[in-house]
Formats: sequence, structure tokens, C-alpha cells
Amino acid sequence: MNLTLPRFFWNEFRKRRKKAALITFALFWGTLSILLLLAFGQGMSTQFRVSFSGLGETLIMITGGQASLTFEGLPKGRPIRLYREDIAYLRERIPEALRIVPESYNNWQVSAGGKEVNRSVHGTTAEFALMRTQVPQMGGRFINADDNALGRKIAFIGWNVAKDLFGTEDPVGKEIVINRVPFTVIGVLMKKLQDSMYQGPDADQIYLPFSSFSMIDSQREIDRIHIQPRGPEQSKLVAERVRVLLGRKYRFDAADRYALGVWNTIEDSKEGLAIFKGIEIFLGIIGGLTLLIGAVGVTNLMYAVVKERTKEIGIKLAIGARRRIIIQQFILETMFIFAKGTFWGFIAAFNIVHLIRLIPVNYESFGIEAYLLRPIFSLRIFVAYVIILGVLVFLSGIFPALRASRSNPIESLRYE
Amino acid sequence: MIELEGIKKVFRMGSQSLEALKGVSLKIERGEFISIMGPSGSGKSTLMNIIGCLDTPTEGEYVLDSDRVAGLSFDQLAAVRNRKIGFVFQNFNLLPYATAWENVELPLLFDGKNARKRKERVTELLKAIGLYDWREHRPSELSGGQQQRIALARALANDPPILLADEPTGNLDSRSGEEIMDILTELWKEGRTIVMVTHNDRISAHSQRIVRLFDGLVLP
Repeated sequence: MNLTLPRFFWNEFRKRRKKAALITFALFWGTLSILLLLAFGQGMSTQFRVSFSGLGETLIMITGGQASLTFEGLPKGRPIRLYREDIAYLRERIPEALRIVPESYNNWQVSAGGKEVNRSVHGTTAEFALMRTQVPQMGGRFINADDNALGRKIAFIGWNVAKDLFGTEDPVGKEIVINRVPFTVIGVLMKKLQDSMYQGPDADQIYLPFSSFSMIDSQREIDRIHIQPRGPEQSKLVAERVRVLLGRKYRFDAADRYALGVWNTIEDSKEGLAIFKGIEIFLGIIGGLTLLIGAVGVTNLMYAVVKERTKEIGIKLAIGARRRIIIQQFILETMFIFAKGTFWGFIAAFNIVHLIRLIPVNYESFGIEAYLLRPIFSLRIFVAYVIILGVLVFLSGIFPALRASRSNPIESLRYE
Repeated sequence: MIELEGIKKVFRMGSQSLEALKGVSLKIERGEFISIMGPSGSGKSTLMNIIGCLDTPTEGEYVLDSDRVAGLSFDQLAAVRNRKIGFVFQNFNLLPYATAWENVELPLLFDGKNARKRKERVTELLKAIGLYDWREHRPSELSGGQQQRIALARALANDPPILLADEPTGNLDSRSGEEIMDILTELWKEGRTIVMVTHNDRISAHSQRIVRLFDGLVLP
């Protein structure tokens, strides 16, 4: 192609841009709608994952229960309790488990600076942070292995506890008294979405090293065992092995569903994710259909443009325009319109998404706004959209362009 | 240079057909200035379109510079129109969105001429017709006479040996019409072949030879 021709076509297009405004607007609107649709779809899906992982990722939680079946001469109704030794017992026997940590809790009066609240206090180990998404705010940290080994009197607190006891002050380094024993705050939990919980949201909890917790708590048994399988696909197997091993140790039937409480979050999340995957696919189909409708619209409008410019085509043919020049001009004009409409659609969608993301979300309410107000603008989706729409628009432009190039110069010149 | 032998043109409209040319034979030598005259519906414009390679005959032989036009493809005909033939229409047929400069430049663009050559040629032509200062104006901002002069400059862009003028003064006042005829006469004197359709005797008086058509046939 002669390089000067596109510049000439561009000049012509610029002079006629008001006439092309309708098609440009259609492409702008289509781009904006589809990108927003997909951004909200992806945002909702991601927020669901985030809120689900607020409790923890690939997590199985075991609690004690009550035997509901007789077993080897033992009656039903016996309580089944968990003990700290069970951690080492299970670690040795379940190689498919990446992490196994204990957790105990109790409700105590907690005070600081003259303020007093009643809160759930937990004793656990360093790995708990990795399993239960305990991310500290800037300047703080979670419990580490040394804290446990040395029985340090330190505490990691939820953001609500921090607010209730210290207001807007930074609690790190300050003292809190739990069950009449002083502890130093070493970190505050970063705000997060959490739609599943047991003792209430993590925002309201206080975490101590397990060794320190044991010093102020008299009970020997533990409340909960957290297990993280090496892969999500191993969750069922790991849960089953826990039942068999603890059944053998505490003499209950492994098939007894009440002897242990087993909360397999991996299986629960699969169901939720399938729903959101379905929503994403549904939105994708709507987006695809919208694209097709848009492409048909562009074709119709381009046919109208060709019709309107019949005389101009005739003049160009009369003074020596070859067929490919006419085709090139219409294709290039279609692509100019596509580029312009898509560019402004992208700018609008990008800004709308980022403006919506500026709206604060109340992490404690778990309301619909926590899912709706966090749309995600994906560059990958945008690139895919541009490629698909580009092909569709090109095809939309080629047929009117071919028709224009096959015009009879005489008939075109006579057209008024 | 232009040889037409037994040219027939039939237009079909559904089941109806209209024979616009019924066997026209005509020879136009290089450097001739001829007028084609005749009443409305006599086939003047159809003959002009066939000579200008805008249309093809239903029957007959058209040889242009030793080439049989019937054997040329759509794009080959476009190339002939671009390089060998310049058109001047009664209603100017300028592109309304393009400036005077761009209208004259267009055939050069279609021929793939580079920017320097285009600039030189368009400048030369616009100066020759006295409209260089109007180069940034659109057709709607020009008078009829000025528009026809731009159309003439466009027709001459690729320096074609043949100029076809279809009622070139039909939409002009007498003074502008005379100016256009003066330019056409000048171009003929420079050696160009001019074929003009008109039904104005005063205009046809500028030509060397008059070919009269009636009911699709050349009158003897």
C-alpha cells in the first residue's frame, strides 16, 4: 500500500468524523458496557475467593465431638476430646498434610489503658498465620516459633480489639492485660473480608503463643486442630485419614460422623467457586452476544455509509481508483472508528472501575457492596476483547467495502 | 488512437431492454478536438462513457492506443482512466469534503506518485488555472467557474493524452464557460486529444470536427 494513501484516508475520515459519530458512539458504548460487565463479574468472583480465604485457604478444621455409634464394646455418647499430643501423632502419620497446628481458646476480660472488654483469646503457633490469613498491619508481626519456645507474653490482636482498647492510637508495643496477666501487643490484623468464622470474625480475636496461652488456661485439651493438605485435591483423603487415625487412638468408629467435627473448607469453597464460575461464564456469553450484535450494527451502519457515499465512490473510480483502494479506504475508516470508539470505551471503563474501587467497603458487614464495589479491570480481558472485536469489526467493514469496490462507476456518478 | 467499430450498448431493466447505441463506428486521431452532438437520448453520454472506459460496450470493438479495451480488467480500466484519460463533468464531480488541493492531488495519489512529485504537479496546475490561492478551499466555497477549473486541473493531474468533457460549460455562466473553452482550446493546441459532448453550437464551434448522434447511430 502506498503510505501516503492512509494519510489521505485519515484526512477524509477526520473531515467526516461527525458523520461517523453514531458508529463511534456505538463502539464506545459497547466497549464500556462489556468491559464493565466483565470487570464486575471478575470482581465479584475474586471478592468471593478473597472473603472465603479470609478464614483460610485449603483448610480442614477438626474439633472434638461425641461418639454416636457403639464401637468395640464402648457405648455411644462418649465425648471425644483432642489433646496437644494429637498434633505430633497426626503429623507423623499423615504425610499428605503440609501443616498441622493446634488452637485453644477461651473468653476472658481484656483491659488496656482503663478500658475493658470481653474477648475470645486464642493460643496457637506461628504457622497459624499462613493457614488462617493472619496478615499484620504495617509495623507489626504475628507470633513466631521463638515466641512459643520462650513462652513470651505477647499478643496479636484483631483490628476491632485495637479500636476498642486503643482508639486511633497504634497498639504495637503497648500492654494489654488478659485474665490478669500482662501481654505486649506485637501486631494488629490487617482488615480483610471474611465470610466464614467460628468464634466470630478475626477482627474481634486475640492470639497468643500456644505456650503462653497454656500458662493462663488450665484445660489440658485443645479446641481445634487446623490441617492444611499439600494440595486441595488431597483434602478428602486427609480428612478421612484423620477420622481413621483419631478413631483408632480414641476408639471410635471412623464412619461415625459425630465423633469429630470436620470442617473441610476446600469442599465448601468448590461449591461456591462453581457458582461464581457459572456467573463468569454467563457474563462472558452475554458479552459475546453483545459483541455479535454490535458487529451486526456496525455492518449495517457501514452499509449505510457506503450507500451515502455512492457518488464519492463513483468519482474516485472515474479518476482511476483501483478496487483495492476503495476497499482499503472503507476498511481503514472502519478500523479508525473501531480504534476511536474502543479507546474511549476503554478510558471510560478504566476510570469508572477505579472510581468505584475508591468507595470504601465495610469489611464487617459482608453486604453486597463488598462484592459489587471491587470490580477488577483486567488488561488480559481487554486485550482479548480488542482482538475479538477487532476481528468482528474488520469482518463488519469488509462486506460493505467489497460492495463499494464493485460499484459501477456510471451508476455511482449518477447517484444523488 | 481511439477506434470504435460497431459499438452497441444495451441497458436491461428487468424484462425491458433499451438499445442506447446501435452500432457506432468512429475513429479519433491523436490531437483531434471533436464535439459529439445530438438531442437528449441520442446516446452521447453512453458513447462518452465507453470512450472514457467508465462503461463497456455490449457488442463491438474499442481499441485505445492499440489495446483492446474489452480485454481489460476492472483495475486495468481504472489505470487507463487514471493515466490516459482526464474527465471534465458538467456538474464538476469534485469531492465535497476535500480541498481544492486534495481534489487535484487525488489522481496522483491513486497513481502512487511520491509527495515531492505531487506537490510540484499540484502547485503547477493550480497556478496555471489561477487558483493557487484558493487551494485550501472546499468546493462549496468556490464559484461554478472555479470548481470547473479545479476539475480541469484534476483531469490534467497525470498529464493524460485524452481529455473527455461532458457538457463542460453546461452549469456555468457564459463568461466562465468561455474561460473553460479557452483552456480546453489551449490544451488541444498543446497536443491533447479533446472529446467533448455538447448540444451548444457556440461551444462546439471550438472543435475541429463534429460527430452527430441520433437514436444511437452516428449521422453520416
